[in-house]
Amino acid sequence: MTLWLALLLAILAALSLLIGDATLALPDGLIFWQLRVPRMLLGLLVGGGLGLSGAVLQGALRNPLADPGLLGITGTAGLGAVIAFYWGLGVAFPPALLVGGLLGAGVGSAFLLGFAGRAPSGPSLILAGVAVSAIAAALLALALTLAPNPFALAEITFWLMGGLADRPLWQVALAAPAILLGGAILVSLGRGLDALSLGEETARSLGVPVARTLRLAAVGTAFAAGAGAAVAGSIGFVGLVVPHLLRPWFGERPGALLPAAPLAGAALLLAADMLVRIAPLVLPLSAAPPVGVLTALLGAPFLVAVARRGAP
Amino acid sequence: MRPKRAAVWVACVCVAQFVFGAADAAEHVISLNLCTDQMLVLLAPEKIAALSPLSRDPALSFVAPQAEQLPVVRASAEAVLRLHPDLIIAAPYGAQTTLALLQQEHVPVLRIALAQDFAGIRQMTRLLASTLGVPQRGETLLIAMDALLEALPHPGHGVRALVWEPRGLTAGPGTLMDAVLHAAGMTNASDGSRISLEALLRHPPELLVVPTAAAYPSLATSLLDHPALASLPRRAIPPALTICAGPFSAAAAAMLAR
Amino acid sequence: MIGVSHLSATLGGRIVLHDVSLEVAPGEMVALCGPNGAGKSTLLRALAGLLPEIGPPEPCRVAWLPQGARSAWGLTVEQVATLGRIPHRDQAVAPVTRALQLCGIEALRCARVDRISGGEARRAMLARTFATEPEVFLLDEPTADLDPAASHEIMRLLRTTADAGRMVVIVLHALDLALRYADRVVVMADGRVTADLPAEQALPAAAAAFGLPFGTDPAARLLPKC
Repeated sequence: MTLWLALLLAILAALSLLIGDATLALPDGLIFWQLRVPRMLLGLLVGGGLGLSGAVLQGALRNPLADPGLLGITGTAGLGAVIAFYWGLGVAFPPALLVGGLLGAGVGSAFLLGFAGRAPSGPSLILAGVAVSAIAAALLALALTLAPNPFALAEITFWLMGGLADRPLWQVALAAPAILLGGAILVSLGRGLDALSLGEETARSLGVPVARTLRLAAVGTAFAAGAGAAVAGSIGFVGLVVPHLLRPWFGERPGALLPAAPLAGAALLLAADMLVRIAPLVLPLSAAPPVGVLTALLGAPFLVAVARRGAP
Repeated sequence: MRPKRAAVWVACVCVAQFVFGAADAAEHVISLNLCTDQMLVLLAPEKIAALSPLSRDPALSFVAPQAEQLPVVRASAEAVLRLHPDLIIAAPYGAQTTLALLQQEHVPVLRIALAQDFAGIRQMTRLLASTLGVPQRGETLLIAMDALLEALPHPGHGVRALVWEPRGLTAGPGTLMDAVLHAAGMTNASDGSRISLEALLRHPPELLVVPTAAAYPSLATSLLDHPALASLPRRAIPPALTICAGPFSAAAAAMLAR
Repeated sequence: MIGVSHLSATLGGRIVLHDVSLEVAPGEMVALCGPNGAGKSTLLRALAGLLPEIGPPEPCRVAWLPQGARSAWGLTVEQVATLGRIPHRDQAVAPVTRALQLCGIEALRCARVDRISGGEARRAMLARTFATEPEVFLLDEPTADLDPAASHEIMRLLRTTADAGRMVVIVLHALDLALRYADRVVVMADGRVTADLPAEQALPAAAAAFGLPFGTDPAARLLPKC
């Protein structure tokens, strides 16, 4: 099954390279390498990071509604990136954008897992995440209002809804090691997440270092989802949806989802990105909508359905 | 690409909501718009009671150094009334409630439409100069402008240029930058629609005209630094010369023609 | 051997164990009885190495089953049992299958634990402890959801396990099961051990801990005639 998923991903990646805005043709070298390839790679990395973080967060928090966006981690990452970028820190030191994003994601992650330790019940955890998300979005809007460049405030849709377009290759190259590092950390947590299915104390009695597992989940998510949000904005719901899509095929054991989650997340994001690029051809739109609009339109009803299924 | 049509349009829209108490020219003038600020500073700086705050921003205003020495006021009716102006100059849109309140208080308000070509600039300059009682200064400015324009190459087989602004906006026919391109002897490759980076690269112009780099970045302005554009010849014009129309617009054309 | 010596423990500022000592030898089944809040579960946690005062856990040697154990996800019975192999870092099939057979749930190995009855799910959880193949079983109310026949079946299993040389410490509310199957009964109240006696002598002390007058203890009527 994982192999089929990898094959699907390869096909989507190839298709993604063929679709430009308002054209469906193989473009010349410059457009291909400078625009299409970075966009496709970014979709792979960000989607993979989001899918994997979602699977790990759901396992670590034992909550089917966990998602790096819903829990505020991509929001705080965006805030950190905005502060670094709009105040020109990236001019002298290009990785500042990424560092800002990682620091922001780290703060969000740390707060969330600290809160999870004290009140591990599902609804209160999600509420805490929603609060963090709301605060991050408000501070982001404030930062953009105060930013020195007059175009800043209009760019709020990019940061809150995400976008893969026109990101230069060097930014993708900057984010890639961080996302891959985060992914490597997350993928190693399978055994711990399986044990956590039975509760934190039982997991400890099985010899799993629970505190360390949760900390690594936080760090891994900060890298895998935070680095992506620093470059592509806050793309929501991918992390939420991916584990639910995989469970009918792979079973509900959290560790079983981990190898397939990045593949599914990447495929989902690339597919969404292709759809928004095609949208202006079939709908009366002047430009492609941000990809986060589509993931939210599909993901939010999904969230409601999952929440209702779990409600007593 | 029809300057004459634009001039007619300017003439029709130009005179709106004109209330004049006495036949004397005004002495305490307040401008509430960046473009009218600049015209006011060029024509009659001694009559200025206050300008809008944007006039002091060197990235946006051609007259920023002079504006530093002049008072500024926010577009609120209370602040404006406190300065006892006898004329308010503003753009056709914006500050609606403020201006409505001021008109209620019987303060004369002149709304000047923003010119879109050199004929419009001449019309606007003359109208404003006569309203302020300094028609000679208006003529002086226009003579200098025309002299600059005469020295430039005339439209012919011009370079195909595209004015590309952040977020993919272009200057199409009938806009100020279109007139500037033509004055510099170039043809405009844009039809007025927004184009994305990819569309730009698919049919690249011979010259890309962009604003000079902003002091602080944004996604829109840093897009102009995308590596894909590195090989395209470009000319950067300060936004202070392109945002508002005025006699100084000829300087923008001169920069392009160099 | 497994045990604690003169252990005192606090939880949230409250003293939950006061100078408790307990030792269990191989081949013994010890029942912990007493009213709610007596500290039985806490003592079991202590034996499992889960209290900060005592630790760390010995996962390959000691298997712990908490009260009301549940799975957060719809795992299959087999997957739950396989979690017991985590300390051994393998997914060996034979011990898991044997565990499922011992607990009488092998027929449901592919069923999801959230879609079977409470008793069946409890057996699946118990199978997880057997899959670890530990020396020590620490079980908190393993028969809670089981009907009387099933309860006796599980208790017989645990008895056999102890007789095979393992150590079994089991928290029980059902005095009849404790008195019938355990070697020793340890009675607790208010965080203290009030009695540690061989099973056949333990009834008066157990009844006293519950505030029941001996002789009219309803549990006595449930004792089957051996």
